Amino acid sequence: MVRAEVLGLVTTTATKVAALVAVLGLVLAQLVFVMVLPALTSGEIGPGAEALGDDLPQIDLASPAAQLDALSPLGSSLGGGSIGLALIAVVLLGVLAGTSDDRYGGIVGAVLASPRRSRIVLGKAAAVGAGGVVLGLVLAVVSLLTLAASLALTQTPFAAGAGSVAATSARGVLAVACLAVLGLAVGILCRSQLAGVLVMMGVLVAEPVAAALAGLVAGPAASTVTQFLPVALAQAVIHGGTGAVGGGVAIAALLALTGAVLAAAAVALSRRDV
Amino acid sequence: MNDTTPLPLEVRGLGKAFRGRPRVDDVTFSVRPGRITGLLGPNGAGKTTTIRLLLGLVGADAGDALVFGVPYRRLERPAQQIGVVLDAGGLHPSRTGRQHLAIAAARAGVSGDRIEAVLAEVGMSRDADRRAGSYSLGMRQRIAIAAALLGEPRLLVLDEPSNGLDPAGMHWLRQKLRGFAAAGGTVLISSHLLSDIQEIADDVVVVTDGRVVAETTMDAVLADPSGTLEGYYLEVTGTEGMVR
Repeated sequence: MVRAEVLGLVTTTATKVAALVAVLGLVLAQLVFVMVLPALTSGEIGPGAEALGDDLPQIDLASPAAQLDALSPLGSSLGGGSIGLALIAVVLLGVLAGTSDDRYGGIVGAVLASPRRSRIVLGKAAAVGAGGVVLGLVLAVVSLLTLAASLALTQTPFAAGAGSVAATSARGVLAVACLAVLGLAVGILCRSQLAGVLVMMGVLVAEPVAAALAGLVAGPAASTVTQFLPVALAQAVIHGGTGAVGGGVAIAALLALTGAVLAAAAVALSRRDV
Repeated sequence: MNDTTPLPLEVRGLGKAFRGRPRVDDVTFSVRPGRITGLLGPNGAGKTTTIRLLLGLVGADAGDALVFGVPYRRLERPAQQIGVVLDAGGLHPSRTGRQHLAIAAARAGVSGDRIEAVLAEVGMSRDADRRAGSYSLGMRQRIAIAAALLGEPRLLVLDEPSNGLDPAGMHWLRQKLRGFAAAGGTVLISSHLLSDIQEIADDVVVVTDGRVVAETTMDAVLADPSGTLEGYYLEVTGTEGMVR
């Protein structure tokens, strides 16, 4: 079943487009973070740091923390939970994998070959998870190369340790795989491609809004809770923990969230008519 | 075969309603081994729903459908026991015919070596590397039939398999099904092409408004005063007046 689902994934144009968009989106985000922002700060381009004031994020690419932030396979979050093109493309890759069988009728063949439908969901999750790992590795390499190029151009030393770089990249790969599987589960739950895309986009857009509102209304306690929403969790995983959520807790929470939505998708597919 | 050998297909009291309206109501029939059974009925009579029920694609409200003595969901390696053609195969437009069969083979647990054999069998070897989005309905149907044959099943369940096939394709399909049954295989085929069914079927089940109104042999149909399957069909479905 896993082999069939991997074949299904790699022979679909949507998968290739989503992966390409993720890479291009990351390249754009990285160029802004590691080239444009430092140039604005130094005054090489634009009116200079003083004129820009608080509008300009303070980034010291010479610091190990900034360099590790730049290694995120989803693009630097600039310390927050911002949503980049790479992140959107990764979750949509999963959504499209979860809905294309319903859209084109392939789900009938899958269910006929595997009447125990939870196996289909597990097979799809394994295939999309593996695809997420591969895409995550590509994104991690792209992040590293863009950072290295920027550091070389500005003659800034690479300050982050090799162990930290490897750990950040590995956690990034895990986050990408989890987000892709999360998208898959949402796609299976929604069935319709349009509904799946809209629901996933809604979740991504609503999360920072909900987090900001919760922080304003209920204060720091609410902020802790909203750090367990998907995008915040993914960023926490990549950066080894943020705020009150430690790295290990973030990994466990993201895996648990992904597993819970996947289990809901398996139950839904097992009970529905196809 | 002794009395304890399960029938290839056995449907008992099958019922299904959608939004409170019965689509399949107390449907009972069986399909005997080595025979071709035609499942006939007007549009909306419940033929496709019956097929989907017996394949476990749709959950039944009442009754049982057994494939070789067990519900479809309990079959081990089902694709190697039963080949199915529904809705022209559910082909993804960006995949080629060969890729579609590779996925079907992997799902069925069948060796990839079978792909070339079934492509040749359905006459699609030359077009196998074209994207399905560029296929005609007949070509999609041939790939769907190829997928059904991948696991070398003992039973074929075909819903309107001749849709879109050209005359040569329809002739091939008739020959294929007759040969399959002659070799001991069993076929349940739903079709509106009564002349085709008359030519190949051994048994006939007719459904109207979700209920079985006739279950008989082709010999008995042809012995009817009307003398043809079409005459018999119009009579038992009560649609005779609609064509006058």
